[in-house]
Parts: sequence; C-alpha cells; structure tokens
Amino acid sequence: MEKVSVVIDGRTFEAVKDRCVLEVAHENGIYIPSLCYNSEVPSSGGSCRVCLVEAHQGGRMRLVTACNYPVRKGLEVKTDTPLVHRIRRGVLELLLARVPDSEVIREMAASEGIAEVRFRKDEGENERYKCIACALCTNVCAEVVGVHAIAMTERGADKKPATPYDKPSEVCIGCGACAYACPTGAITMKEKDGVRRIWHRDFQMVRCSVCGTPYIPQAQVDWIVSRTGKDRSFFDKCPDHR
Amino acid sequence: MGAIKSVEQLEAYRRELAAAARPELPTVLVCFGTGCQANGARPVAEAFMDVIKEQGLEIDVNVGIKTTGCHGYCENGPLVALRPQDILYLKVKPEDVPEIVEETVKGGRVVERLVYRDKATGEAVARYSEIPFYRHQQRIALRHIGTIDPASIDDYILAGGYAGLTKALAMKPDDIISEVERSGLRGRGGGGFPAGTKWRSCVAVESDVRYVLCNGDEGDPGAFMDRSIMEGDPHSVIEGMIIGAYALGSHQGYIYVRDEYPLAIRNLTAALEAAREKGLLGEDILGSGFSFDIKISRGGGAFVCGESSALMRSVAGEVGEPRAKYIRSVERGLYDKPTVLNNVETWANVPEIILKGADWYASIGTEGSKGTKVFSLVGKVNNTGLVEVPMGISIRELVENIGGGILGGKEFKAVQTGGPSGGCIPERLADLPIDFDSLTEAGSMMGSGGIIVMDEDTCMVDVARYFTGFLVEESCGKCTPCRDGLPRMLDLLTEITEGCGGEEHLAMLEGLCDLLTWGALCGLGTSAANPVLSTIKYFRDEYEAHIRDKRCPAGVCKALITYHIDPEACTGCRLCAKNCPQECITGKRKEPHTIDADKCIKCGVCKDVCTFDAVRIS
Ligand SMILES: Cc1cc2nc3c(=O)[nH]c(=O)nc-3n(C[C@H](O)[C@H](O)[C@H](O)COP(=O)(O)O)c2cc1C
Ligand code: SF4
Ligand code: SF4
Ligand code: SF4
Ligand code: SF4
Ligand code: SF4
Ligand code: FES
Ligand code: FES
Repeated sequence: MEKVSVVIDGRTFEAVKDRCVLEVAHENGIYIPSLCYNSEVPSSGGSCRVCLVEAHQGGRMRLVTACNYPVRKGLEVKTDTPLVHRIRRGVLELLLARVPDSEVIREMAASEGIAEVRFRKDEGENERYKCIACALCTNVCAEVVGVHAIAMTERGADKKPATPYDKPSEVCIGCGACAYACPTGAITMKEKDGVRRIWHRDFQMVRCSVCGTPYIPQAQVDWIVSRTGKDRSFFDKCPDHR
Repeated sequence: MGAIKSVEQLEAYRRELAAAARPELPTVLVCFGTGCQANGARPVAEAFMDVIKEQGLEIDVNVGIKTTGCHGYCENGPLVALRPQDILYLKVKPEDVPEIVEETVKGGRVVERLVYRDKATGEAVARYSEIPFYRHQQRIALRHIGTIDPASIDDYILAGGYAGLTKALAMKPDDIISEVERSGLRGRGGGGFPAGTKWRSCVAVESDVRYVLCNGDEGDPGAFMDRSIMEGDPHSVIEGMIIGAYALGSHQGYIYVRDEYPLAIRNLTAALEAAREKGLLGEDILGSGFSFDIKISRGGGAFVCGESSALMRSVAGEVGEPRAKYIRSVERGLYDKPTVLNNVETWANVPEIILKGADWYASIGTEGSKGTKVFSLVGKVNNTGLVEVPMGISIRELVENIGGGILGGKEFKAVQTGGPSGGCIPERLADLPIDFDSLTEAGSMMGSGGIIVMDEDTCMVDVARYFTGFLVEESCGKCTPCRDGLPRMLDLLTEITEGCGGEEHLAMLEGLCDLLTWGALCGLGTSAANPVLSTIKYFRDEYEAHIRDKRCPAGVCKALITYHIDPEACTGCRLCAKNCPQECITGKRKEPHTIDADKCIKCGVCKDVCTFDAVRIS
C-alpha cells in the first residue's frame, strides 16, 4: 500500500494514501468531532459537516469534511483554527435548533460554547425526534446488513429515514444495526417479553437455550441461514454460551 | 441515402444538397419552439400549407415551409420569418396568412401591421436583422436556431454542419484538446470551468472506459437557453459531443434532459436517429474507425439534479442527490469511470471552435471569458427573450440596447444574474462587463445566464426572500448548513419583510451566509448566500428601512404599506370601488373616494385599475 506523509496540526504522519483524514487524525490522537461517519460503512459521511477542517494543498485552502477527504502527498490539515471553530459552531447551532432534545448534540454544542440557539427550534409539530437526517442508518442497513429496509425520504428539512410508506417493512430483519449506528439515538428499538419492536414491526426473539435470554430476532436467524447456509442450531445459544 | 462512409462522401453529399437547394425560392419559416407553439404556431403553419397548396399551381411560386426552433423572442410569437426578403412578422394569426402570401411572398411588400415596432420611438422595423433585439447579438451557440429545421439533418449539413467533425477526425485527439484549451472556452453551465483543462485532466487518467455527458437539466426557473438549443439545433450538441468523445477516446455519451422538456427529448431522439442513419454516430464513424454513440437519459426534474455528482448518480439509475466526494469526476465519474460533463451550450460551441479555430473564438469576448454567452433576459424590460452576445458587453448595453430599456419608463434599479442562487447588482454598477469574473467579484455569478431586470417597484429584501424560498424548496436535505440553515434564513427574511426584524437579524443572516458558503456540501448550498449577501451589500439601507423605520421603500411588503387615495388626483370614476374584492372603497361618483384601511387586504387591484394614478402606497 502506497504511503504518503501528511501534516496535521503541524505534526507529520505517515499514512496510507487515500485513507480519510478523520481516521488518520484519530489514530494519532487528534480529535475531530464526527456524527454521520462510520468506518465500516462505505457511503457514510459528508452529511453532518461537524468534521470540517482546513485542507491546504497546492497553495489553496478549502474547508473539507475530514471523514471523506483522502490523504494525499503534500496535504496539510488544520483542525483547530478560528475558521474551523466558527463553522463548526454554526453547524452545531443549527443541529441544536433541529434536535434540542438530543443529549449528544447538546454536549457537542456545549463543548463549542453553545448553550442556547438564536434561531427557531424544531419543536411541536416540527419535532424531529433527535434525527439529524445523517443517513447513517440507511447506509448501514444497505451496505453492512445488506438489507434495504429503510431509505431517506422527503427533501430539505423534512428529510428522514423511513420504511416504504411508513408501513412495517417486509424485508426488515429486526437486527437493530441501524439503531446501534445512529449517532443521536433517534431510532426507537424496544424489547419486552421476548418481542422486539423496531420500525413499526414486532420481531419474535430467539432465546438462548442456556441462559434463556432473548438475543436475536427469528427473522434475522432466518435471513442468515438463507444467505449463508449456516446451520440453524448454531443460533440455539447466545454468543456468551457458544 | 444510407450511411456516409467517409469524409469525402460527406462533403460530396453537402455539395449535392447545395446544388439541389434553391436559395432564391421564397421561404416561410414558422417558429416551432415551445413558446410559439403555445401561442398557436401550428395553425399558422397549417394555414400557410393550405394557401400554398390551393394557389400552388396557378402562381408558379414555390414556397418552402420550415418549422424552426425558438428565435428567442417568444413573447411576440408566433414568429414568421420570410426569406429572401429578411422580414420578420410577430404575433401572426392564421387569418393573416393569405395577406402575407399575397403581399409579401408574391408581391415583396411588407405587411406593416405585423412588423416589430420600437416601443420607445414607435418606429416600425421590418427587416429581421435590423430589429434592435437581434442587431446587437452575435450568434455562435444559437447559430442555426430559427433558420434551420431541427428535424432535418440535411438542413444542418447544408448549413455547414458536421464540418467541424470532419476537420476533427483529421486531427490528432491531443491537438483537438489543445485547440479547445487555446480557445479559452469556459463551461456554460454555471461554474465557468475551462473546458479544455477538464478534457486534458480526463485523458490524463488511465482507463479503458470513459464517458462524455451533456448536462441538459436546466433547472433555473425562467431559463430556457439550453432547451432552445436542444429543440432548435440538436445536431450542434451531438456534433460537439462526437468531437469531444473522439478527443477523449470515449465510446459512450449521455445527454441528460429533464422530463419537462418533451420537445427537446423528441428532437434530440430524432436527431440521434438521423445521425446514426447517416453514419455519423455508431460504429466506425465516417469510416474513421472511431465508434461512439449517445443515449438520452431523462431526469426527474429537481433543481439539484443538475449538479454534477447528482446528475451522474441519476444517469446511473440512483437517487439524484449530490455525493460528498473529493475525487473529481474526470477521475471517477459516471460508474466510477473518468467522465467529462459539459453543459448543452458548451457542447454546441465546440464544432464552431474546431471549424473556425481557437484564435477566431478567442478573439471574441474578454481576457478571461472568451466567446459569446446566451442569456435569458426577463423582467421589467421592453424586449424579453433569449439573446446571445459577446462576453464583456455591459449590463447597461444589454438592458438598454437589446432589452429596449425599462418597461413603462420606470427607473432601472438592479439586475439579478445567475439563476436562483445568483446575486443582485445595482444600477450604479450597470457598466460592469458581463463575464465570469466580473460578476463573481460583484457578489453575483454568471450561472447559466439568467438575467432578471428589476425596476424601482422591486423590494430587494423581498427579492432575497423570494430566491431563498426557492432554494429552501430545492434543498435536497443532505447536509446540515443547507437543510437546516436555509429555512432559518427564510424565517429571518420573512420577519424583516413583516416588520418584525431587529438589528440582530442582519448579523444572524450574515452568519448563516458565512456558514453556507464554507460549510455546505454542493454548489446549491455554497452559492445560496448570494441573493442575501448581495442585497445586504448593495441595498443595506432598504433592509434598515424595514428594520428600523418599519417601512418598505419600494412599497411591496404588505405588512408595511397602506393604500390610500389622493383626493387631488381622484376623479371619482368608481372603477376601483367596482373592482375591490373587499368592497372597502367608498365615495360618490365624481367625488374623491376613500379606502377603509381596516378592511383592505392590500391586493393592489385598485392601484392597477386606476387610470388616473390616484391610488398611492405609503
Ligand atoms: C444546484 C446545481 C444545479 C446545477 N444545474 C445545472 C444545470 O441545470 N445545467 C448545467 O449545465 N449545469 C448545472 N450545474 C453545474 C454542473 O454541476 C456542472 O458544473 C456543469 O454541468 C459542467 O458543465 P460546464 O463545465 O460545461 O458548465 C448545476 C450546479 C449546481 C450546484
Ligand atoms: S433493523 Fe431493519 S432497518 Fe434496521 S438495519 Fe436491521 S434490517 Fe435494516
Ligand atoms: S435516525 Fe439516526 S442515523 Fe438515521 S438519519 Fe436520523 S440521526 Fe441519522
Ligand atoms: S448543499 Fe443543499 S442541495 Fe447540496 S447536498 Fe447540501 S442539502 Fe443537498
Ligand atoms: S379608480 Fe382612481 S380615479 Fe377612479 S375612483 Fe378609484 S381612485 Fe378615483
Ligand atoms: S388594495 Fe385591494 S382590498 Fe385594498 S382597497 Fe385596493 S382593491 Fe380593495
Ligand atoms: S462526520 Fe464528516 S460530515 Fe459527518
Ligand atoms: S418559441 Fe418562437 S421565438 Fe421562442
């Protein structure tokens, strides 16, 4: 793999060409906030804009999203400049106005010195239920799970993830990967008496034959079996008791 | 005839067409652009056919009738041009046809009542080329529009079409790129990126597959330059793309056209078919060994689909949404292959550049912006329509010479250029040359060439609010600054126009503009600040009047104005009272009337109907 050297905040690092700035920075202990990016999800990133940093290259400076900007030879990144903080504050103030109830956003905004927003908040009938429309959930479902149960619908401020026609999805396997990936905890997944409810649908959970804990939806087991040909009995026990 | 198998055969075919053509024959050209068809061009053309058929044998005048693309003067359609007399008739009705045939076609006389009349001087101008709207134009991209039948490839070939291609096929691909580089041609789709540079960086990427794309999305409201070219001269775009593909080593092209342009789709489809039949597209083009074909890709119509990454996703059958990526499409574009995307007008210029040479093209225009540009001139000017002028012409020349000045003798206040995310330039800067860099420096942009002229009755805060509202609707919602910032910007502007804006509103607006410009993902968001910033920059006093004095100087913002009747000017004609939807105007006949301000909904009807200019706004 071709390696290049890249400068981040004045320090020089060796990095694999075309890896994203965010990962290279994090591996070297430099903090850049992020919300919509997950290294396991190819199409993720680029949407929330909290990871904007200064990229200096070829005598030119641009603000770029660290989560998908490739490191190349001669790149110098600055993550801690007045411009970076000014724009990050702007983004966080808008996110806070959008989802005032999200603890994650409140904390991230507070770390940039924002406690209150000056703009109209999305409340009442405009409540966005913590969702910042970052599309990480839909990307996870499509690219990691390999199911296309949800997609981003609507445009503009109303953009949101949804199942087709907001009805229970027939292809959803109830795996919950979308909910685990969501940066703001905006997807409700509830479990009661061995039944998981997510995206308007109830999923019967399989119990571990050893400890009796319901640990995986039957639909997910069926899906894995049909996809991989794995032996069904494998799922009798939860990972702790295999 | 079938496929043409060599450059020599094409030239022979052109000579054959020329020998068969009889330029001395009277020709009636009925504009069949979308605008004129809507105004009733078809019955007019049919009336001509009927009269010709009826009289044909007796009078030994052979009249060729053609249906052409838009002349750019749609407002006055249906347009009928007559050759060889070089006469243009406006607003022609089927009833006028027998007279036109009798007087002009047979007698060579002008039918006075159908000719153009200068709105300022009242002078009649019969000759097409002398009409001020056309006299100041220089047509390269629109070179054939209105003079050839877009459905006829023979017309195009006879007019010199595909000669650029034959010249290109004799050149080295690299030399074609150099020629385009030297011409200084910059993309006409908005960004103004040098076309030659784009091509050069695409060929530099190693790949066995490459694509050339044509952007015919044209989502700007009121803009129709690309539509006119696709409808009126589709072969010019196709020829440009074949030349580009040959230079780039591409074998597949796509033209992306919005679904709302059915005539463009039809004419392009027919033109592609005709080009294939003639051996100008497909395998072994003109016996050169080079193969290339073009498909039409139809777009769903959202404004943002015109953005390059969204367009490529849409062509590939995905959701037409911009993608966050920093790898350029010349490296990884459509289907992740090196791709060159150019705008319709950009492509239409290419054959002329190759045919006449880079030096010729570079001699037109300004230092940084070569050639001509097509503009859609609309708003408060006397002549509106499509115009093509050399780059560098001043805003004032465009408004006064071609546009014929401001409608109704009002004062010229500003122009808005560059589509919904362009900016407003005030009258005091009207001597500014129109080119990519000057417009950007002034806080606006060239965009795709929309120019809206505004007069004294325009409120600049309201204008900013209007365009921001458009962008709110068109935001795809993918990134935070645009998705959540634009609606807040609209809130602030609306509050100002409603008289509830405070001093802090301006600072908050400027903050959001800063955020959009630096932080948005695609061009829609990064340019969305232009309407707001440019109006704050040039018309700050108007914002302040709304905020501090709760006053709308232009008398537009309803919350801040009241209607009343000037008793001195009112003649008591009762016209306003009869038309008021609220029935809130009272007064005796021949005595001054009054408006009950409590009931008035500020619809403006009274002001519009009063012929004595007695209704005032304050
Ligand atoms: C929101 C948005 C809409 C656009 N719409 C169009 C369009 O309708 N037609 C067009 O040619 N270019 C449009 N563009 C510009 C294209 O992204 C691209 O730059 C252009 O097609 C490249 O061709 P050119 O270099 O010949 O101009 C748009 C850009 C943005 C950001
Ligand atoms: S729970 Fe359903 S929607 Fe969520 S990732 Fe799994 S399959 Fe997709
Ligand atoms: S639900 Fe969560 S992951 Fe999905 S779009 Fe909303 S914030 Fe992003
Ligand atoms: S700037 Fe606006 S249109 Fe462009 S990607 Fe962001 S939200 Fe979508
Ligand atoms: S239309 Fe004009 S002149 Fe006539 S009554 Fe109304 S205000 Fe007076
Ligand atoms: S503005 Fe409309 S409602 Fe008011 S007085 Fe005039 S016509 Fe009547
Ligand atoms: S983490 Fe980079 S844009 Fe969201
Ligand atoms: S359609 Fe006829 S002039 Fe435009």
